[in-house]
Amino acid sequence: MMEEDILHEVMRMAQAEGCNDVKIVLSEKTADDITVLSGKVDKMQHATIRSLSLNLFIDGRDGYFYTNRVSLQGMRDFIRKAVEATRMLESDIAQTLPDPARYYRGGGVDLRTADPLLPAVTPQEKTRLALACNQEIAGKHPALISADTRYSDHYSRLWYLVSNGFEGFEQNSSVSLTTICTVDGVGGQHPMDGWGESRICFAGFPWEGISRKGLDRTLRKIGQHPIASGHYQLLVESPVADHLLQPMLAALSGQALQQQMSFLANCQGQQVGSPLLDLVDDPLIPGTRGASYFDYDGVALERRSIFSKGRLCTYFIDTPNSHRLGMPATTQCAHHLIFTPGTDTLDDLLCKAGDAILVTDFNGGNCDPSTGNFSYGIEGFHYKDGICVEPVSGINVTGNMLHLWRHLVGVANDADPWNVDLIPSLLFEDISFGGTAG
Amino acid sequence: MQESLVGRVLDAAMGCGGSYADIFAEDTLIHSLELQDGKVSQTRQVCLHGAGVRVLKGGATGYAYTMDLRRKALIDAARFAATIGGKEPLSAMPGIDGVDDELLLPCAQPAVSPGHVRELLLQADQMAHDMDARVVRVKAAVATNSRQLFFANTEGVSYTDYRPFTSIVVRVVMDQDSQSQMGYSTRQMQLEPSFVTDEVIRQVVREAVDRTSILFEAVRPEGGEMPVVMAAGASGIFIHEAIGHAFEADFNRLGTSIFSGRLGERICGPDISIVDDGSLAGDAGFLRWDDEGVCNPRTLLVDRGVLNSYMHDRISAAYYGVSPTGNGRRESFRFPPQPRMRCTYMLAGEVPPADIIRSVKKGIYAQTFTNGQVQIGAGDFTFYMKQGYLIEDGKLTRPVRDVNIIGNGPQALGDIGLVGNDLKIDHSAGMCGKGGQSVLVSQGLPTVLVNRLVVG
Repeated sequence: MMEEDILHEVMRMAQAEGCNDVKIVLSEKTADDITVLSGKVDKMQHATIRSLSLNLFIDGRDGYFYTNRVSLQGMRDFIRKAVEATRMLESDIAQTLPDPARYYRGGGVDLRTADPLLPAVTPQEKTRLALACNQEIAGKHPALISADTRYSDHYSRLWYLVSNGFEGFEQNSSVSLTTICTVDGVGGQHPMDGWGESRICFAGFPWEGISRKGLDRTLRKIGQHPIASGHYQLLVESPVADHLLQPMLAALSGQALQQQMSFLANCQGQQVGSPLLDLVDDPLIPGTRGASYFDYDGVALERRSIFSKGRLCTYFIDTPNSHRLGMPATTQCAHHLIFTPGTDTLDDLLCKAGDAILVTDFNGGNCDPSTGNFSYGIEGFHYKDGICVEPVSGINVTGNMLHLWRHLVGVANDADPWNVDLIPSLLFEDISFGGTAG
Repeated sequence: MQESLVGRVLDAAMGCGGSYADIFAEDTLIHSLELQDGKVSQTRQVCLHGAGVRVLKGGATGYAYTMDLRRKALIDAARFAATIGGKEPLSAMPGIDGVDDELLLPCAQPAVSPGHVRELLLQADQMAHDMDARVVRVKAAVATNSRQLFFANTEGVSYTDYRPFTSIVVRVVMDQDSQSQMGYSTRQMQLEPSFVTDEVIRQVVREAVDRTSILFEAVRPEGGEMPVVMAAGASGIFIHEAIGHAFEADFNRLGTSIFSGRLGERICGPDISIVDDGSLAGDAGFLRWDDEGVCNPRTLLVDRGVLNSYMHDRISAAYYGVSPTGNGRRESFRFPPQPRMRCTYMLAGEVPPADIIRSVKKGIYAQTFTNGQVQIGAGDFTFYMKQGYLIEDGKLTRPVRDVNIIGNGPQALGDIGLVGNDLKIDHSAGMCGKGGQSVLVSQGLPTVLVNRLVVG
């Protein structure tokens, strides 16, 4: 039975049980994972996944159900029980499907989100790639304790059917290779770091240099230590810069607004950050990770400005929260964020920053969703006028999100175009760090 | 027929020269009901069903899983996993011989009637509003998880197990003087939902309201290095993050943990002993058997200040030439096991908690936490304190909030000054993530003074 036939059969079963509306998503995925540890294959893993999810709408009630037993045998019983569970709920007029006029209707350009050749790549070819990547640094440095290279890929296909007029299909793939190194440090410490690359396609994967870069990034961490508390410039390296953006995005969700857990409530149209805070969500760029025609509800996606020169342009409002808040529905979340880059390189920003902490990783911490107050553990490097003075760890960066983004003074041009979100290195001025007594 | 099928799968798994193989199958039903804005209006049900086949050869692992428990799919998975053995498959490799039998598991059943859970949630909502007029929003959920498991390996060990799990979480938003604050409380136990009694609901709601209420008065303390008194119970996250992960033997086998090569060494004061315990029935860390067929109720990790044992799975145990410690755990059939904690705690000392607080001139009293994390190699750990107090001249004074506590594992262990006589196991923590897998854990601690940690 074809996937589309399964969807339609499940739809018929659900409607026969009394559902007013139904959303069905059928998902198929294959995934491989190969780990090479210091020159030897340590782990090989293969998975084939098939699952079906259902949203059942009955008289203002909405239940969510998921199963990986997709065969039609037993499906009728599964649906009957799901309908019973949904009928137990209290009616909530906000729980509806989107307006059909907002659904994606096809006709978009090919977004090239999947590698059609990936399913034919053999485990041997994948293993060779991981071994070659790992071998790049074998015996290259006496401090190297271990080098762990992980190849992973997946190939996914999803079929959608929604009773009020949406039928869709999407597919995507991802191939990634990462090497994590551990080296002998000082005082018994074993610094660990690495580097990785991800692409949509297997062919031409740029494996060369990954392990070397991973080793270099680890060696530079030797001797990390806490430094004195104080105010420094904060320069966040591109690979981890989204960590500071996530609380801002979480504060834009309809659920956060509705539950009074957003420090950005009632701020649409207002200046909430420095003019350098300029962010769009553009899911329609072909060949990029995160590209998609529609969101999980089937709503057509479009390029959307989130922050324009520091001004908040939009919230992420799904259909139920649109009803509850009396606000227009947009989309559930961002898909492919692009932070408008500057012209400086990371080195340029380091030179401009003066007395700065370059943050290369975050270690725990939290942001209060209602106030925006945050405290995060960090590690990285202390720079003065572009010169690295010392590696740093074991200190906290603290503040308030709105204060932080109003103090954004520099944006680099170094976002990796192969990331799902393109966030370059960011420079914030006069930020509080909590460390030792000095 | 089951034995014959399992035997054939394991034979196929060993077909390329593996030294060990196992099969782990499960049927799981997860059900949750959620209350929001006074209505029980959301439900989620997840059915998971499948089996994973693992083959070991030396320290290397081959693994494959399938959601189809019929013979062909299981043999296919076994054959993929077998390739780690490195040899060409036997020409007459055992497996499919025309029989289309299926590995049968008891079907996971809903652990409770949704109607009963619905009443519990409405009760929680009413209680929260009755307790404090500033409560403007309540969100509450009860989730139940019923797991039916089957395990067999090439050493002749096999078992079936039933693992129920129930959690309740209550979150409240309170308004005061145009300010909104949010707080929550949870209980998570490997028990049937009947453990959520009226009294448990009352406790959880009370904690959620109290924790939120105090945020209106809480201040952000000046950051820096200072003494921290860890309150008994939830502060067990300190043990979990500061040293627990670094005692997991896979990190030590690879030489990446800061405690690698330190077995038998003194790592802290003689008044400190730490255990990992899977024997506490109902606790989130309870395990009758681990997920690779090993039964070991308790491991003494630190014996009066000396590093006594790591936490092992079969791979690391073979490497160190010791018996597995019952810590081989996996999230589900989709993952091979790895060394994980169960319920990890420090044994009680002799000092009354009030004396510990009195001993501190200026510091922090830390009570509840979230977001723990550790850098295994460097030993740097952090956890975010949701609730606590300033200690000034030996007394608890102002409540504090929004504080991240950061330290280095071995250093912090060595900096423990006093150990209280009030060990408490905490039942509010739940999931621990490692290598892409989440498993249930718990932790505990008596009141403990750490002489210096970075607070900010």
